[in-house]
Amino acid sequence: MPIFSYLAMPIEGAKEALAEELKALSFCEVLPADNVDLLVLVTDAPDEKAQQDLLEQLQKIPSLQSLSMTFGCSDELQPER
Amino acid sequence: MNLDRRSFIKCAAALSAVTAAGSIFPGISFADWKRQEGASGMITWKKAPCRFCGTGCGLLIGVSGDRAVAVKGDPNSSVNKGLCCVKGYHSVQALYGADRITTAKVKRNGKMVEVPIQEALDIVAAKIKETIGEHGKNAVAIYGSGQWTIPDGYVASKLFKGCLGTNNVEANARLCMASAVTGFMTSFGLDEPMGCYEDIDHANVFITWGNNMAEMHPVLFSRMLSNRKLRKDVEIIDFATRSTRSSQAADKSILFRPQTDLAVANAICYEIIRNNWVNWDFVNKNVSFHKGKTNIGYGLEDNFQFTDKEEPLTFEQYKTFLEDYSPEKVEKLSGVSARDIKYMAALYGDPAKKVTSFWCMGMNQHSRGTWINNLVYNIHLLVGKISTPGNSPFSLTGQPSACGTVREVGTLTHALPHGAVANPEDRALAEKIWDLPEGSIDPKPTYHTVEMFRALDRGDIRFIWIQVTNPMVTMPKLTRYRDGAKKEGRFIVVSDVYPTPTTDVADVILPAAMWIEKEGMFGNSERRTQHFEEIVPPQGEAMSDTWQIIEVARRLGFEKQFPWAKEDYIGKIWEEYRRFHDNPKHNMAPYTVLKERPGVQWPFVNGKETRWRYNPEYDPACDKGRDFHFYGQNDNRAWIWARPYEPAAESPDKEYNFWLDTGRVIEHWHTGSMTMRIPVLYNAVPSSYVEIHPDDAADLGVVNGEMVKIISRRGSVTMPASILGRGVPPRGQVFVPFFDERYLINEVTLDSFCPISKQPDYKKCAVKLEKA
Amino acid sequence: MMRPSGKTIGTWGPVLAAVCFLGLGTLQITTAQAATAMIFDQGGEVLYKQYDSTPDNYLATGSGGRNLNSYYALRQYPGSPPRIPHPVEESFSTAPVNCLACHAKGGYSAEYQNFIPVTPHPEKELCTQCHVPLKETKSRFPENRWESINPPKLGRSMLGGSPPPIPHSLQMRENCIACHTGPAAVAEIQIGHAARGNCRQCHVPMVQTEPMKVYIRK
Repeated sequence: MPIFSYLAMPIEGAKEALAEELKALSFCEVLPADNVDLLVLVTDAPDEKAQQDLLEQLQKIPSLQSLSMTFGCSDELQPER
Repeated sequence: MNLDRRSFIKCAAALSAVTAAGSIFPGISFADWKRQEGASGMITWKKAPCRFCGTGCGLLIGVSGDRAVAVKGDPNSSVNKGLCCVKGYHSVQALYGADRITTAKVKRNGKMVEVPIQEALDIVAAKIKETIGEHGKNAVAIYGSGQWTIPDGYVASKLFKGCLGTNNVEANARLCMASAVTGFMTSFGLDEPMGCYEDIDHANVFITWGNNMAEMHPVLFSRMLSNRKLRKDVEIIDFATRSTRSSQAADKSILFRPQTDLAVANAICYEIIRNNWVNWDFVNKNVSFHKGKTNIGYGLEDNFQFTDKEEPLTFEQYKTFLEDYSPEKVEKLSGVSARDIKYMAALYGDPAKKVTSFWCMGMNQHSRGTWINNLVYNIHLLVGKISTPGNSPFSLTGQPSACGTVREVGTLTHALPHGAVANPEDRALAEKIWDLPEGSIDPKPTYHTVEMFRALDRGDIRFIWIQVTNPMVTMPKLTRYRDGAKKEGRFIVVSDVYPTPTTDVADVILPAAMWIEKEGMFGNSERRTQHFEEIVPPQGEAMSDTWQIIEVARRLGFEKQFPWAKEDYIGKIWEEYRRFHDNPKHNMAPYTVLKERPGVQWPFVNGKETRWRYNPEYDPACDKGRDFHFYGQNDNRAWIWARPYEPAAESPDKEYNFWLDTGRVIEHWHTGSMTMRIPVLYNAVPSSYVEIHPDDAADLGVVNGEMVKIISRRGSVTMPASILGRGVPPRGQVFVPFFDERYLINEVTLDSFCPISKQPDYKKCAVKLEKA
Repeated sequence: MMRPSGKTIGTWGPVLAAVCFLGLGTLQITTAQAATAMIFDQGGEVLYKQYDSTPDNYLATGSGGRNLNSYYALRQYPGSPPRIPHPVEESFSTAPVNCLACHAKGGYSAEYQNFIPVTPHPEKELCTQCHVPLKETKSRFPENRWESINPPKLGRSMLGGSPPPIPHSLQMRENCIACHTGPAAVAEIQIGHAARGNCRQCHVPMVQTEPMKVYIRK
């Protein structure tokens, strides 16, 4: 269950489009800024495989200019309940 | 637990990102609420009365797309002039709780199953028919609410009283305002206050009688505070059984022992007479004196009956009656010093001071509620301080439309939209307007609320439809009535917006459109009717309570009486309803006028609102040439009633040595089904508690937050203690707010009621405490 | 960022990666004008002198640490009454909590190590009517699907360099000075020219939640 957060910067003028495309992906929550062309992206994949797939999908998004990670947490040792 | 931790980590992740962004882009903003998808950012503002208390603030609901997204106070509303309270400002969030009921459910094999709403309505209608067929018309009942809109209550009354011919129509306002109503009817012959909120801008003295106005009618209390700031000669006195925010804000706080308000009110009258402060000109022309029965009981037994017997008194007899109530005698009983009693009496008696008395549940939820209402009117009548700006005995209403719906439409067992079922002319008028054959309406009232739930328990009622209220939290002595509702052979239909302990016992749950999701009107404390349109569409299959009743009525064969179309049914219903009140004492504004204005007071005569009733200067229903005309009673006078002090139904004794008082806090409304789902309100007061005096807590060995078991002869509840919180009871008393369904304090309370009004006393019963 | 010990909870790896981006927005820096012979009207001179005697750090943007994010974090929609971010003693005593003691005039609170926001409506004394504190921090938004619109954008001048219009409605917010000046002001809207006195001489309301009106001659 890796959880990451990123600052997602859209290409010029594509903030809305980027928001839409990111929301369409699974395991993604988007928090757009009010007054700057920037989004916060929080991802919460159920396992490592899904996390890898998600990263690949993110790299393919056309309106995304850059993605910088600001938080990471991975929980391999969480005991099963 | 996993989910909690996960969402906590996600919050931390988001926060990290936001912080990083802030240091890279100074001034960046991520406002802390979820953004509406595709929002244009444009807001249209539509007027509506607030969903919550009886103040009836005018709101402007901010709409973007098909969602309510913001709230402002309506600056055009004379009630609140653009100000709201924390509940009002966040009221629209109550529409969007995640577990909102949006589909109908029916109990099959012990489980609730989703069905299309039309099917559920078929089942409801069929069940009504079946129950009447097997057990007679008085085996079906409808229990509504002071939060019903006026059309909701109107169609309920028309269907059940008119078409089905049963007087099993009641509403939760019986638990809230019934004593106020009987107080008005016995003192004045007509219901509802004679003054209006403008009195606040004229009065010199405000006395709150057992109501925590700073939390319960905060916008009106603020108006009092700003008057005190602007005008130097204003004084506020809080007369209560415990110390609250109102006591803190008041100039003087006077505490009395529970139930002894009866004695203190009489003592004030005693002082007024002794000091010759009686306004003889007023009294001789406008007042007559009366007494009723004494030792009138408490309604604890099933089928308790009481009818009062009125006898006239002379003034001398009234004065003799008051001899038991000298301030010195009352001081011993009430704990209020003779000096304070004389002080209050002097304020009432001073001809230079205009006095407004405010009260609400402290006086209404009282086993002698009718009496104490009479007694405060007595004070104002003796000194002639009534029906003029600033001189106002003002009975505040708790719910947004207890006046508008329950009292004015008459959704109580004995009432009709005009008058009473017992009166042949009133029945004839209803049958005419409702287009029903003569004799359709039953002349005998059946059950008031407590008796209705007793009847359900006994099996005399087999079908009950509950709308916009939560009796499985609010009925006093709750365990009996909840067990009764769950018995075999009882069919419970509940129309509501969120799952509650009442929907938990339902056989059919109908999704209700909430407040601004449907067109309607509310009527507030000062006789102001406020219209609101359907401002946002209802969610899922939610349907207005009015339309639910119309759908069922048509299935029962009453298309003729319920012919209206969905596009304009509310306006048509209003115009039909208005006909009942077509006289200068109660005339109501036409639909078109209601739509234009933030609210219109009744009587609405010749295009003008009557702000002060019974005063010919303001009230066209009065005879000309008089100073006052109390036209409600047959002798054209206001009645002073000699009502004695009688003790509470259950006072503390050796074993159960504490008084239990119940009530509210500003953040939460009633049983919390709406406000607990509003984040800021829930987070401010996340759970209920029991207020205990610090010395009592020390004796009990309990510190703030520790669990205390509250035990009565009916049951027990264990809850956290609040010591020196926002309210502090005196020693020997505890106070519990009832908004939290996890702490059902009504399992502990007693179902005693005022024998005249049948309103239960939620403020007094005996409990003992144990450290849990 | 901390690195807690204990394998039973799981490993945390907070990471602040290097960022590379193109096309940053530019920062604007204003400079003070040279003093010229001044003619004052109304109380302008008093304000002017007051301004001069206020230390620079009090006037500088961001001096108080309160920004748009922390402003909106306390609200549920643009214009809602903020909740109280600091603990409020429920204590009932003869000296009840007096909000105005700090919030009427502002200043610095040693207790909370922060500058105190000034209320734009001190005449309303029953503060708890609209403002409530936060007791529960865990379940901050208990299952409510609340949504609202974007807060207003700042600085929407109609012409380059013209005074930006007031983006919010003035109901309950007529006192510009309370919110726009002083160290407790939200950094992004803090201004340094309060000495001019008559704000609405240059700034007129153009509420952003309403469509712009256009004159059409009938």
